Amino acid sequence: MSFSRIVWKMAKANYKKYIFYYLCNTFAVMFFFIFSTIYFNRQVDEVKISGSIQYLLIIPGVTLVLFTILFISYAHQIFIKQRRSEFGLFITLGMTDRDIVKLVLLESTVIGLLSLTSGIIGGMIFSKGIFFLLMYSVGIGKVAFHLSSNMFLYTVVIFIIIFMIAIGRSLYLIFTQNVITNIKSKKTAAALEKNSPVIGGIGAAFVILSIIGVYFTYAYLSFGGELLYFWAICTILGVYISLNQFISLFIEYVRKKETYYYPRMLFLTNINYKFKHLTTILTLVISLVMVTVLYGTLNLSIYSIEKKEVLENKPYDIAFLQTETKNNLDQETVYSIIDQEDNRIQEYLQIPVYTHYERWEADNSPVSYSFMPAESFRELTSKSFELESDEMLYYINFEFENSELDKYYWDNAARFAEENLDFNLKEIIAENDMNVIGDGAFFIINHLEFEQLENQFDGYKSVIHQINVEDWRESEEATDKLEEAFQAFNKETPPIMDERTEGLTEEEFFKVGSKIKAFQSIKIENGISFFVMTALSIIFFFGSFILLYLNLFSEIENEKEKYRKLHAIGITDEEVKQNITKEIRAIFFMPAIIGVILAFGYFISMMRDIGGIMANPGLLLYFSGIAIVYLLVQFIFYMYARKKIIHKLM
Amino acid sequence: MAILEASHIVKIYGDIKEERTTQALNEISLSINKGEFIAIMGASGSGKTTLLNILSGLDKPTSGEVTIAGEKINEISRNQLALFRRQQLGFVFQDFNLLDSLTVKENMMLPMILEKKTTEDINQKVQELAALFGIENILDKYPYQISGGQQQRTAVSRALVNNPSIILADEPTGNLDSASSADIMECFETIVENSSAAILLVTHDIFAASYCQKVVFIKDGAIHSSIVRENSREEFAQLIMAELSVLGGRRDVF
Repeated sequence: MSFSRIVWKMAKANYKKYIFYYLCNTFAVMFFFIFSTIYFNRQVDEVKISGSIQYLLIIPGVTLVLFTILFISYAHQIFIKQRRSEFGLFITLGMTDRDIVKLVLLESTVIGLLSLTSGIIGGMIFSKGIFFLLMYSVGIGKVAFHLSSNMFLYTVVIFIIIFMIAIGRSLYLIFTQNVITNIKSKKTAAALEKNSPVIGGIGAAFVILSIIGVYFTYAYLSFGGELLYFWAICTILGVYISLNQFISLFIEYVRKKETYYYPRMLFLTNINYKFKHLTTILTLVISLVMVTVLYGTLNLSIYSIEKKEVLENKPYDIAFLQTETKNNLDQETVYSIIDQEDNRIQEYLQIPVYTHYERWEADNSPVSYSFMPAESFRELTSKSFELESDEMLYYINFEFENSELDKYYWDNAARFAEENLDFNLKEIIAENDMNVIGDGAFFIINHLEFEQLENQFDGYKSVIHQINVEDWRESEEATDKLEEAFQAFNKETPPIMDERTEGLTEEEFFKVGSKIKAFQSIKIENGISFFVMTALSIIFFFGSFILLYLNLFSEIENEKEKYRKLHAIGITDEEVKQNITKEIRAIFFMPAIIGVILAFGYFISMMRDIGGIMANPGLLLYFSGIAIVYLLVQFIFYMYARKKIIHKLM
Repeated sequence: MAILEASHIVKIYGDIKEERTTQALNEISLSINKGEFIAIMGASGSGKTTLLNILSGLDKPTSGEVTIAGEKINEISRNQLALFRRQQLGFVFQDFNLLDSLTVKENMMLPMILEKKTTEDINQKVQELAALFGIENILDKYPYQISGGQQQRTAVSRALVNNPSIILADEPTGNLDSASSADIMECFETIVENSSAAILLVTHDIFAASYCQKVVFIKDGAIHSSIVRENSREEFAQLIMAELSVLGGRRDVF
């Protein structure tokens, strides 16, 4: 039997190790490829250039690259740990270094190529599945699955680089360590290094500082979102360092409290051992949990904030501007279109407005000043007030958090009022009472004075229509019909060619504004980011589960050995079960809980740019909801893993 | 009074209905009294380890029964057996069977922790045994940091923590050099002198067996003969060697 036959025989006997290594690499490639199909998707790319989605993709992107790097090197480490002892044996039996290099390269190339192929194929299938699922469940027709050369290029190049670094590292280890260390490499793995509280502290400081960093980055976004890359790396690094140190430090501390420590000794030492050896994996899982929970929440939050804005900025369901020649259908026609049997008109306001235009001295652009009779304003706001003929109100149809802003509006109008108007300003009112149609601010004057305006200034008469129906969600068809009817009418009248349509088309100027349309446009805009984030959450959830699961199973031989020893000294099956349960629980839930806490820190920081979490307490509810759902799903997976492992071990 | 009583133990591997079966043990009967120190010797494959596994309840006999401290161990459930093992039996293995993630001290106290003994009891017992076997200064070391002899002394201490009525040892010196072997056998002598526990060890090491009071020889799964030590250890070793040559059918050992 030739030497290469022996090598081949050993490989066949150890096929499980190869399969494990191959699967790990396949998963890494698969996740990366799924992410690239999203990142390089044409429709997502369009939104990326214009919108905030680019920033949103930074943190998952960084996490995913780190995930790939750490995952592959982890898989490689486990694989090579076993191989090193074999190589040590081969070298003592007379295999040359050249032969070893040849063997490692051959093995790696075969496994690498296989993983790359199956990973990409698996990635394509899964990605297509995710796209399909989301398109149908969320109803976004816009994002379609497609492939591009970039997706393949990035996946292949990044994988090959990481893979080669891992191989280089193990070859270095094989040749720099002496033969005995190689042969014993399986055993020495159990050695635990010393821990340092200082290093642990530095790790924790990294995590805290990075979250504060995110807070300030979001508070002053002008710093540049690129900083987010940096903070994401800082957090992950910090988690890694502190995990590596803290569990051991904790156990060292607990060891002194004997009455606490003794009954839990078996559990605590096992957890210490696992956390020490699985630092990389646990760090990854924590990052994945964090990203999943954080993005799930952001997803819901953004959607709800924008929805809230739509509903709040549009007190009326349908609104339009009418002049003598445009949108001028009589009330009966408008009623017949909108007032449906199952969706009656509840309120119909018609507010006459007179608008006068002047020109800015600076650039000759038109500036408008609008007037509204006090009567209509009373009707609109249900305020009771009387205006003398020499009094006026200034009404701004916005609600400002900052009262400086109404001053700014008024300052502009005051100059005009001082020069042209003979009224005393009684009050400035800033509140959002109607949909913004035409101007956003009005001088409110006595209706007798209002009638007189056209003698005083040039201007345009118009009427703002504001309509409420029973259910705005059902108003889409009516809105479309109204729009059509107006377009048909407007076509017959001469086009408007004056200040009013400067910088704006006539169509836009007379467009029917409606809650339902605004709501739908937000749904589409958010749909794509919703899609991206949901897809990422799915990938990351499965990623974290597979990591935990694979890693528990990679240790199964050691575990069997451990329980065999314990069985010999008289541990009962019940005690074994309890022990396994405790351990798996810690391994499944510790990272999940740390991840959720970190996600919370990031979430609070990211809410900075919409006025902080205190301004949006409802978002906390989303966060808790998503965190709870995550933990529940994790619980189901945990039960599954526990059953499997107990079955394998007993 | 007999602590361990084995009667007519038969162990057959493989399906009895089929022809390809191996009879590992054939009608072995054995009785061990309090304070006895007995070795079982025999060639490789003679059934030594099978016998020990059956005596300790790790394996079940095909027929026959084993009674330890009045308890018939083949009649009790797997869980009760585990409890029984850690309360009544001390086990010492050829490969020490220490957990790598625990220190020497922690390995020693593991059976007591499983028994839910109090912290004071645990600490006291660990100190006592560590002093007895000279391992006080390595209590906080991990198994991979200490020598084989030290590991086996740790394992012997662990076997003793719950004051077992009998200690079963499977080739306890098999992985040790001669100095460490002597060490361990002296430990066993100390146990026999200081407590009422009986010790049964399986070995093919003449040097180790010479420490015992009695050696039982088995051949092809059955008891072949036994000799009792009456004089010095050196003379006993000569006797054992002579008996082994008869057993192996070879007289030209040297």
